[in-house]
Amino acid sequence: MSVYEFRRTVSPQAAAAWTPRQVLLTNLRAVGGRAYPRVHGLFREKSWVFFEVLLPFLSTSTFVFVYRALRAPPEYIGFVVLGGAMTAFWLNVIWMMASQLWWEKSQGNLELYFAAPMSIMSVLFGMALGGMVMSSTRAVIVLAVASLLYEVRFAIDQWLLLLTVFFLTLAALYGLGMMLASLFLVWGREAFQMSQLFTEPVYFVSGLNFPVARLGLLGALALATIPLAVGLDAMRQLAFIGANFPIGTPTPEVEALILVVMTVVFLAAARWMLRTLERRARREGRLSVRWQ
Amino acid sequence: MSESTDEPKGLVGLGSPDWGGFDRARTRGRGVRDVWGSFRTAALIGWQMEANWTDPVLFFIYSVAKPVSGALILVVMLDIISGGADPGYRAFVVVGTALWAVVLAGISGLAWSILDDRERYRMLKYVYVCPSDFRVVLLGRGVARLAVGAAGGVITLAVGVLALGVPLDPAAIEPGLLTLVMILGLAAIVAIAVLIAAICLQTRQESWSYPDAVGGALLLVSGVVFPLSVLPLPLQAIGLITPLTWWVEGVRRALVPGTPSSIGGAGSLWATTTGSLAPDAPTIVVALLATGALVTLGATGIFRLSEGRARDRGLLDQTTGS
Repeated sequence: MSVYEFRRTVSPQAAAAWTPRQVLLTNLRAVGGRAYPRVHGLFREKSWVFFEVLLPFLSTSTFVFVYRALRAPPEYIGFVVLGGAMTAFWLNVIWMMASQLWWEKSQGNLELYFAAPMSIMSVLFGMALGGMVMSSTRAVIVLAVASLLYEVRFAIDQWLLLLTVFFLTLAALYGLGMMLASLFLVWGREAFQMSQLFTEPVYFVSGLNFPVARLGLLGALALATIPLAVGLDAMRQLAFIGANFPIGTPTPEVEALILVVMTVVFLAAARWMLRTLERRARREGRLSVRWQ
Repeated sequence: MSESTDEPKGLVGLGSPDWGGFDRARTRGRGVRDVWGSFRTAALIGWQMEANWTDPVLFFIYSVAKPVSGALILVVMLDIISGGADPGYRAFVVVGTALWAVVLAGISGLAWSILDDRERYRMLKYVYVCPSDFRVVLLGRGVARLAVGAAGGVITLAVGVLALGVPLDPAAIEPGLLTLVMILGLAAIVAIAVLIAAICLQTRQESWSYPDAVGGALLLVSGVVFPLSVLPLPLQAIGLITPLTWWVEGVRRALVPGTPSSIGGAGSLWATTTGSLAPDAPTIVVALLATGALVTLGATGIFRLSEGRARDRGLLDQTTGS
C-alpha cells in the first residue's frame, strides 16, 4: 500500500503526524525528484556537449600549452589536466548548488519548496547528486581526452586511497555547496557577483594548475578551508608518485582526514544555517522577495 | 533632420493628432537622437545593475580579484618552472591576462543581459517590443560590463608593473598604435559578444557559463598567455583569423615594445608562410581590421537569424531551469 494513500484522521494535526516511513520515503522522493532534471537534462540539451565539455577542455589545454611553452616537466601537464577535470565540480558547486536556492527565489519556486512536506536538505541533496552525475561526465571526458592527447603518464600505487580521496573531495565540495546555498538564500543580487568571485581567486589559492605548496601560508590556509585545494593536492600526490614538485603539504592520508572533517562540518553547518536563515528569512519576509 | 527631431504640432503627450487619424511620423521616431537615448539609458541601467549591489570597496575588490588572480596563476606557473628568470615573458603573460579581463567582461555583458532579462527579471519580451532597437539596448547594457572589465584590466596591468616587475616604460609607449588597435579591438570584442548573445537567445538558464567557456577556448588560440608557435599548425591558422590575436599582439607591441611576438617566432606558421619573424605594426592593424570586419559581419547575420528563430518559437519569454 502506498504511504501517500488517503487515511481518515480525527484532526488535521493527526493527519500531519507522519510515520517515520512516510517521512523517509517522501524525502527520498524529493532527492530523486530534484536530481532527475539534472541527470535527464544531460540528454535533452545537445549544446551541452559543446559548451560544457569541448570548450572547457580547450580552456584546460591552454594551461597545458603554457607549460609546454615553458618546457616544464611532463608531470606538470598532468597536474593541469587533473585540475581541469576538477573545475567541473567546482563550477557545478558554485553555479548549480550555492546559487540554486537564490535562483529559485528569483523564479518564484522557493516558497513552494518551503511549503512542500519534505526537508529542504533533501532538495539540496538531490541537487548535489544530480550535479555530481552531470559534472562527472564532463570531468571524465576532459580527463580521458586530455590524458590521451597530451600523453599524461599517471603513476598510481594506492588506487583505493585515490578513489577514497576523490569521493571525499566530492562529499566535502557538495557539503560546502549546501552550506553556501543557505547563505546565498539571504543575499540579494550580490549572490551572483559572489559566484563570479569564487572562480579565478579560488583557482589561484587552490593551486589548480600548480602545486599548492608553492603558495606557502596562503596555500596552507586554502588547505584548511577549501576542499578543492585539499582534494587536488592529495590526488596529485597519489596519481603522480615520484614526481618532482614542491611538497610541504600533509600526506594524502592526513588530507583524506581533513576532507572527512570538512564534510562533517560543512553538512552540519549547512543544516544549521538553513534552519537559522530560513527562520530569519520567514521573519523578514525575504523568501518571496525577488529581483532585489 | 529638423523635421524628424521636432515634436509634431498639435499633440499632447500620447494623444491622437487633432485631425484624429494615424500619424506615421510617430513610428519613425527621431533617428539618431532616439538611438543615442536608448543606448545611454541602457548603459546607465547596465552600470547600475553592475555596480549598485554593494559598497564601492567590495565592488572594487570584486572588479579586480578575477583578473589579478588570473595573472597570478600564470605568474606562479612561470616562477615554478623558470624561476622568474625571464621578465620579457612575464610582461607577455601579465599584459595578455590584463587584456583578457576586458575580453571576458565584454563578451559576457550582452549574453548576461539576455539571460538576466529573460530568466531572472522576465523582462526580455517587454524590452523586445519597446520602440527602442533591441540591439542598441543590448549594446548599451553590455558596455557597462565592458567598462568594469576595462577597469579590472588596467588595475591588473598596474599590479603587474608595481608588484610583479613588468617593465613598462611610459616613454616607449606608442600612443597612435595603441589608440587604433584599442578601437578596432573593442569593436571586435563587441562583435564576438553579439555572437554569444545570439547563442544565448536559443539556450537555457545554465548558459551563464557559456561566455567564460567561449573565452577559455579563445584563450587557447589567441596568443594571450603563450606564443602561437607552440600550437599545432591548424590551431595556429585558427588563431591567425581571430581578431583577438591581432588585438593582443598590437596592444603588446604598443605598450611593451620589447616583448616576444605571440604570432611570429621561429617555426611559427606566420614565419614559415611570410618569411618574416614577426608581423610589423601596419600588418597588425590591417589584419585586425580585416578579421574584425569578418567577425562583425558574421555576428550580425547570426544574431538576425537567432532573433528571428527566437521570435518564431516563443523563446523570448521562455524561462528554463534544472
